[in-house]
Amino acid sequence: MSRTPHRAVGDDAPRRLDATLVSGAGCFVADVVRPRLAWARVVRSPLAHARLLAVRRGPALAAPGVVAVIAADDVPDVRIPIRIPFGALPEAEGALQPLLARDVVRYVGEPVAVVVAEDPGAAEDAAELVELELDELEPALDLERAPELVRIAARHGDVDDAFARADVVVRRRLGFQRQTAAPLEARGLVAEPGEDGRLTIWGAAKVKHWNRQTTAALLGLAPEALRLVEVDVGGGFGARGELYPEDVLVPFLALELGRPVKWVEDRAEHLVAANHAREQLHEIELAASADGRLLAFRDRSWCDQGAYVRTQGLLPAMLPGDHLPGPYAWEAFAVESAAVRTNRTPVGTYRAPGMTEATFVRERLVDLLAAELALDPVELRRRNLIAGEAIPFTFDRGPDVPPIVYESGDFAGDFERLLDVAGYDTIRREVADRRARGETVGVGVAAGVELGAIGPFEDAWVHVDPDGTVVVRCGVASLGQGVETVLAQIAADELAVELERVVVRHHDTDEIASGFGSYASRSTVVAGNAVALAARALRERAQADGLPLEAAGEVAARFEKAHPSFSFGAALSIVAVDAETGVVRSERHVVAHDVGRAVNPALLRGQLVGAAAQGIGAALYEELPYDEAGQPLAISLADYLLPTAGELPPIEVVVIEHPTAGNPLGVKGGGEAGMVTAPAAVANAVGDALGGAGAQLERLPLSPPRIRALLRGPTGLSTGSTDSETVEGET
Amino acid sequence: MTEHASRWLAPDERAEVALVLNGENAVLEAEPRRTLADAVRATGLTGTHLGCEHGVCGACTVLLDDEPVRSCLVLAVQAAGRRVDTVERLAAGGTLHPVQEAFLRHRALQCGFCTPGFVVLAEWLARREPDASEERVGEVVSSSLCRCTGYAPILAAVRDALGRR
Repeated sequence: MSRTPHRAVGDDAPRRLDATLVSGAGCFVADVVRPRLAWARVVRSPLAHARLLAVRRGPALAAPGVVAVIAADDVPDVRIPIRIPFGALPEAEGALQPLLARDVVRYVGEPVAVVVAEDPGAAEDAAELVELELDELEPALDLERAPELVRIAARHGDVDDAFARADVVVRRRLGFQRQTAAPLEARGLVAEPGEDGRLTIWGAAKVKHWNRQTTAALLGLAPEALRLVEVDVGGGFGARGELYPEDVLVPFLALELGRPVKWVEDRAEHLVAANHAREQLHEIELAASADGRLLAFRDRSWCDQGAYVRTQGLLPAMLPGDHLPGPYAWEAFAVESAAVRTNRTPVGTYRAPGMTEATFVRERLVDLLAAELALDPVELRRRNLIAGEAIPFTFDRGPDVPPIVYESGDFAGDFERLLDVAGYDTIRREVADRRARGETVGVGVAAGVELGAIGPFEDAWVHVDPDGTVVVRCGVASLGQGVETVLAQIAADELAVELERVVVRHHDTDEIASGFGSYASRSTVVAGNAVALAARALRERAQADGLPLEAAGEVAARFEKAHPSFSFGAALSIVAVDAETGVVRSERHVVAHDVGRAVNPALLRGQLVGAAAQGIGAALYEELPYDEAGQPLAISLADYLLPTAGELPPIEVVVIEHPTAGNPLGVKGGGEAGMVTAPAAVANAVGDALGGAGAQLERLPLSPPRIRALLRGPTGLSTGSTDSETVEGET
Repeated sequence: MTEHASRWLAPDERAEVALVLNGENAVLEAEPRRTLADAVRATGLTGTHLGCEHGVCGACTVLLDDEPVRSCLVLAVQAAGRRVDTVERLAAGGTLHPVQEAFLRHRALQCGFCTPGFVVLAEWLARREPDASEERVGEVVSSSLCRCTGYAPILAAVRDALGRR
């Protein structure tokens, strides 16, 4: 077989699922219908913290069409374990979530009972009839006063010495708000017992194999007793596909009732039940020399875990020490992060977890330092970004904490690329001209690193059917990112076959022996390299034996990755502020990222743009506030404000390719990168627009009330307004 | 006012809702509280997606007598005697509609969950206002939510669909 002249890797190949999805012919979990289906509805806690004295199910059981009502005593007394080994500190053990609340409810939305009925309406009606006897307790809501599960520290260098030598120190308290990933499709599951005693579960996403193994263990079954099937998934972004209580309750009910059970989450549930993310408070101080050299920083933070530690463990408090240093050559830093337990929805990960929050905190401080030194923020960054010749670069963090290693790239050079493409000098002039005309406009930049490509490994199997179809099997998850197209391109390239001949099977745990799934910008790197290795080995075997590919059997390969990889990114944002209303308008956003090598540049750009769009939402709109009783105030998409086409600016992308030697394909992660720098760049642009008033900016999102409060502040511009309104949304 | 709309129904009574669904006469069985979205989906037309069920996201957009509506906010019984068109009508016969082709060309979807709503809306706009200005396209597209794309490719696809009609 001759190599086709057209190389599949590097090509903007069209996505494989698009024609189906655009026709409305996709199959999402709500579309899965089975014979004799029963419907589950979860009864959730209406209070943030209370003793659960009784669950009275009589009236619900008597309601028409009701099949069963279960509460904690009916289900195994188990806790949902932590998936990520390094997030599983012993301090988390006592805070894991039961399937249904036992004795105490700890957040509004916590599952307390489940009603199963013959149709969804009957289940929802009957759920209203389940009576909970609750004795209200004081909720923990204040991050600084809530119980601490653990404090996690990371240090590099001699911080005290660096601060002693500093000419300038800037300090701030900065908060990142509570958010959620909010995929457009909420969660759902259908579980059906088969005649062979096995159970099939549709609706899996992200981490099918871990969920299969863990669900089986929690239900006292062998993993082989479960088959998890991924159908089309309406977005993931970190939240969808983790193992939640419902993921165990629905299979449990299907087994107990001996019939298929379906559960489809509604949006109001999703906003209190699926993982929240991000909420953190930082106290940070940064030391620098008079000539603008960053020396050191100290950071103390309080990271909200919410009411339980979920499958991602204590990650929220572990990540500041990984991500606060970012792309600058610090002499020293000290980070101490407290994981605090509150009576709000548990916190997991959302696209670019930890790095987004840390980048906002660090990059705000860098801008404040620039103001202190009367330097252009861009110039201050130029003096401190790690240059290409210094990479690989390592922050040693002592004997107990793994070092941070930047294995490849050119941070300083990439930052210049962003500035060149965006036209920074022209932008500066235009901003100055517009200000002279009375407009409140600003430009902001931010630099950061994305952590991705997490191991430990991925397996792939490749064979060629007699009809010439190349079959790739791999345990990744398709969440809308196009991974099946990218893996097919990699296989086509290695085997020198036309892309159309390749099919990628990843949907069904019965077809794939193992898989770690899709998260942490890992699929193209870890699974992609496994596919490349397997396809290459198949081609070599066929060549060595003088056989056509079809006769060479199946080849398996594993790509192992002991450490995650970091890759550089930066963003530039321009905003205009309406000084009267406080409305911030994002006018332009440019994001640059080093992806190593782009397998499908068009899909990659789509990821970078989509992530940046979400980051602009984080900067300006999205927030999950709670009242003083712990009641969530954003329980619909009319409260939790996702950006629309009316708010988002044109987002431009600068794809940088410094291939890494760390894997055969040379690729780095890219799925989260657009997010990392976006809130920081937008916040810095707002800070720039507001001048002195912007220096007091301390919490996202930069909603109109917060902007008006900043403008009215002691150092704020006068708006000529004499109103005395209170600041909504400030707690 | 047609006769069948003038009688009170008990809450659990099933109404027979006669309508024209994607150009064909059809009868939906639905109790009074059932939404049009649920009733349409129950016929197997699952391209109409429910992203919020409170009228914000627009994934469930269908045409009711040729006007876009959020089918999660319309009761099935309100569709009695009227014409309902869903995304499935656009690619009837297995050929993608030019609006759908434009969405593919511009890569205007990632997860694809919101896409049917946008496609229905875009086809309506292209037919109703073929000369819609850029601003009008932005206004219409901003009525629905997409979490994946950042909207620029959707806007480009809709503009393209308008230009090619």
